Amino acid sequence: MFEFLLDPTFQTWIAQGLLLTIEITLFGVTLGLGLGTLLAIGDIYGKKTVKAAIAVYVEFFRGSPLFVQLFIAVYTVPAILNLQIDHYLLAFLVFGLNSAGYQKGYIKGAMQTVFSDQMDAGLSTGMSKIQTLRHVILPQAYRIVIPSWTNEFCSLTKSTATLSFVGLFDLVSAGKSIRSLTFQILPVWLVIAAIYFVWITGFSKIMDVIYEKKRIPGVEFLMQ
Amino acid sequence: MTDLVIEARNVYKTYRTKKPKNEEACVEAKHLVEAVKNVSLQIRKGDIKLIFGPSGSGKSTFLRCMAMLDRPDKGDIYLGDECLTKPGVDLNKARARIGFVFQHIYLFRHLTALGNVELALRQVLKLPKEEARKRALDALTEVKVTDCINKYPSQMSGGQAQRVGIARAIARNPDIILLDEPTSALDPELTGEVIDTLRDLAKEGTTMLIVSHEMPFAREVAEEMIFYDEGTIVETGPPSLFFNAPNTDRAKKFMTRIINRTTREEMNV
Repeated sequence: MFEFLLDPTFQTWIAQGLLLTIEITLFGVTLGLGLGTLLAIGDIYGKKTVKAAIAVYVEFFRGSPLFVQLFIAVYTVPAILNLQIDHYLLAFLVFGLNSAGYQKGYIKGAMQTVFSDQMDAGLSTGMSKIQTLRHVILPQAYRIVIPSWTNEFCSLTKSTATLSFVGLFDLVSAGKSIRSLTFQILPVWLVIAAIYFVWITGFSKIMDVIYEKKRIPGVEFLMQ
Repeated sequence: MTDLVIEARNVYKTYRTKKPKNEEACVEAKHLVEAVKNVSLQIRKGDIKLIFGPSGSGKSTFLRCMAMLDRPDKGDIYLGDECLTKPGVDLNKARARIGFVFQHIYLFRHLTALGNVELALRQVLKLPKEEARKRALDALTEVKVTDCINKYPSQMSGGQAQRVGIARAIARNPDIILLDEPTSALDPELTGEVIDTLRDLAKEGTTMLIVSHEMPFAREVAEEMIFYDEGTIVETGPPSLFFNAPNTDRAKKFMTRIINRTTREEMNV
């Protein structure tokens, strides 16, 4: 039943697929973190027009399926721009931009829980708003937001399954290929599911450890 | 007048307790608080002045205006001979010369006591690492909290935390320290250690403007007491004036109440 696992070609495919899944997830979460932070700051400090633009951005990326966003990026954006753009690059960007839409909310929420007194404290020592954001607000907000990242990471990992629809070779693509050569439908998908499961669970545990390591007493979501 | 450290000239500040729909509705519903109405005050080098008055009268708002943490609606704040209320002034530079101690302490929660004091020395004064550490340790030694330099704010007692707050304010050698009810959020038995610290600062000739109701302390260190009520300075004078016979009825009433309370507390102890 599971003999296909011993085939070196299939092993390579699975490894390649997993690598792409991991790459795109990690890149997406990282880009989402950077951009999400800027969006959060823009939403707190920006003028009305900036806030409105951010709201549109967030609602677009949260309000439509990632799958559709990926299709638009891969099949229409290059055509409109009349450019050849690598599908990998487009997928990376879509995952990052999509994740930023979600992370903006997490980061803004976390910033607001530390904002009220800590901004005054920073300004009172002569630091600028930007210095206070960088050295006081964000170090606390990021610590608070780690558990939300773990969720974001899990959901983004599973969303990479859509990559197989735009011709990229992710874990699901590897599964499809192996299935069509071996006809072992259930065993192949069980194996693919197990790989997702192990990777997601393992990484979540690592994030839990990081959260505990980085945790500072007094800097956490207050349980009401 | 070269020894003038900070001055408020005819300062006004009104704030809203609710988001405004229209101005009249706010006035009507008392959502507009006139916290500072035409207040002027001069502090010279070495002065120790104490503001007191009923809660909600606008003392904190006035102090925050002095430090430009709130921008006055009208009137001017001068730091030395620099007008801070003019547009285009670098307020960060100005605030670096003003120490501020908050009623609710407001330490940086993600930093240890040492980190709290060091941060501005590194970021604002741009001191090299070793020198910033040395100055931070000096400040923490001065307020006698060397036993908790590596503790986080949530691991300190209120009195320790507030003394770290004072260390953070004095480490930059500011021209003046503004203290907003530094002891009122503390348990009575912790108040004493903070008061001792302030007493030490007073002995060294630190220029201070303190909002406080610690009357024995006021009598001991303040050169001038300022009775503040309903957004204005009602009466000003040396402690002896207030402890014997204030001129205004409002000050008289308030002093009677507060002295009774202090005596009661002392008898309980």
